[in-house]
Amino acid sequence: MTSPNLYTKLFEQALKIRLVEEEIIHRYPTDKIQSPVHLSIGQEAVAVGICNALTDKDNLFATYRSHAFYLAKGGDLNAMMAELYGRVDGCCHGKGGSMHLAAPEVGFMGTSAVVASSISNAAGAALAAKLLNKNQLNVVIFGDGATEEGVYHETLNYAALHQLPVIFVCENNEYAVHSELKDRQSYSILEHAQSYGIATQKIEKGYDFIEIDKEFSKIADTVRTTGKPYFVEIMTCRYKEHVGPGEDFCGGYRTEDAVNHWKSLDPICTDTQMVERLSPAIMQEILASIEFAENSPFPGLEELYQHVI
Amino acid sequence: MEIISYREALRESMESALANNDNTIIFGQGADDYKGIFGTTIGLAEKYGKHRVQDTPLCEEGMTGICVGAALNGIKPIHIHIRADFVFLALNQILNMAAKYKYMFGGHYDVPIFIRAVIGRSWGQGAQHSQSPQALFSHFPGLKVIMPSNSQSIIESYQYLLNEYSGPVISLEHRLMYDLNFDVDRDQIRTGKDALASYIVREGKDVTIVATSIMVLEAVRAAKYLAEYGIDCEIIDLHSTTDIEHSLIIESVKKTGKLLVADTSWVSFGVAAEISRIICENAPQYLTAPVVNVGMVPTPCPTAKSLEDLYYPNLESLISKIINLSGSGKNIPIPDEKSMADVYKKFKGPF
Repeated sequence: MTSPNLYTKLFEQALKIRLVEEEIIHRYPTDKIQSPVHLSIGQEAVAVGICNALTDKDNLFATYRSHAFYLAKGGDLNAMMAELYGRVDGCCHGKGGSMHLAAPEVGFMGTSAVVASSISNAAGAALAAKLLNKNQLNVVIFGDGATEEGVYHETLNYAALHQLPVIFVCENNEYAVHSELKDRQSYSILEHAQSYGIATQKIEKGYDFIEIDKEFSKIADTVRTTGKPYFVEIMTCRYKEHVGPGEDFCGGYRTEDAVNHWKSLDPICTDTQMVERLSPAIMQEILASIEFAENSPFPGLEELYQHVI
Repeated sequence: MEIISYREALRESMESALANNDNTIIFGQGADDYKGIFGTTIGLAEKYGKHRVQDTPLCEEGMTGICVGAALNGIKPIHIHIRADFVFLALNQILNMAAKYKYMFGGHYDVPIFIRAVIGRSWGQGAQHSQSPQALFSHFPGLKVIMPSNSQSIIESYQYLLNEYSGPVISLEHRLMYDLNFDVDRDQIRTGKDALASYIVREGKDVTIVATSIMVLEAVRAAKYLAEYGIDCEIIDLHSTTDIEHSLIIESVKKTGKLLVADTSWVSFGVAAEISRIICENAPQYLTAPVVNVGMVPTPCPTAKSLEDLYYPNLESLISKIINLSGSGKNIPIPDEKSMADVYKKFKGPF
């Protein structure tokens, strides 16, 4: 039995992420957000389920599609919104934008816009955690496309060889930009990971944050105990286009039916009662974050030259 | 004064780094084997443990990313490549991640990784074992690049960068210098940021030579030769290609009116181009003759000895260029020395 409290807590987090991104879509035509946005709409449950099993001390490395992970890990909404608006109070002082979010205070360790780049960073952080006895998990999020990169293989090998406490999470939405997985991969992602002797698990119901939380909590506990790497594949669905506010089916590379099938299972789409109950308070918070962003100054010359070395 | 070889200075610096900070870890293919990266890590795995002096799989990008991640989480990695050419496999992690991690995340993170890469040039190394990529790495904001030309430079700059500096560093060491002995004066060790500064190796009034790495030694040999014929060269060791002290070069050119740049790589878009830019932008009025550059010819490095000797500069070509630039001494005999590698392979030092 899932406790009603847990369902409400995770639902609220997932709904907040969705409403934040829907507000970004709503405001995008104003051109006040001059940063390419890769929206997580449809994939929020993955972020919420995973982050519920982590503490602020645990590190998470992610990708350019990370509004969801930044918020689920506990990143400040005002600072994220200001970052998207290119303001000095942004989480990266306006030098990162949507694709480069960071919140070290809650272990959100940065995101890369170059596919697969953060995977080896997480393994390195896990090596440090192990050598320095930090009792800390290091988790990395990447898409199905990242498993095609050579550095992914290099990192799995090293993590397995040195038995590092790192969790590899593949968010499989079956698309790399506009290319379908079947046109890109000759291997099974899970079997490939298993060939390194790494424990693996596949979670099919990527819309179900309760299921993801339950399964991922067990995996996190296992890695905390054994100190060994783990690989998790979570099936999910991207509702919006690769980059930008449009729908994903509009380009003709996938069908609306496929996305609609996923939506029919997605609690944020189906549990309208909860949406109605929780939305007003969340919207207040979101509107306040936009006000915060718009009131924050634009960064200037001093910021331009700061933090180069 | 002590006499310490380039190799011994590197090994001493590696051991100091391990001894000074328990969180320093050395990574490198063969770092713990019997050859120990040309002798620079020999015995360190036995003394400090294999977890601190690690052999690595053959995965330059992955290992660099692992070093970046470890650096973000409290480790100070030293990552060694026995050929600088191999670092090209790790460019994504160096240029997209390490060089930008601090900046693009608004200063939240430091990435204190120290990459040692050996310019493999000796003889017969060919197109992929001999390259000298200082221009590439110096082009990208966020990295520090050094090219030590002697043991004292290694000791002082490694000490500063490994103990006090918290950003990514690339040190390009020259294989031909590993066996050379140098005078080291421990009382004169430069500390702090001064350890990276360009400096005057030899004062002179006729021609300014700005040189990197082993070309500093070549410039010194040329200057000694020409001094006997009345041409007085001033030599500046650039040392760091990312921390060039403009005023040092400008003041020297103001004095001599003539500038020759001698670098270990190709001339176009490289150190030679950069030093010329600095003078063109800041002090072109001091030049009394066009700038002259000495570097490798614009081809990949060939392997046959006859081609290699044409490809690299040598004392003969360097001296004749200095004589032409100086505008005097048409009767000075040019030494018959067409292979730089031969000189250093026989060399017994100290300088």
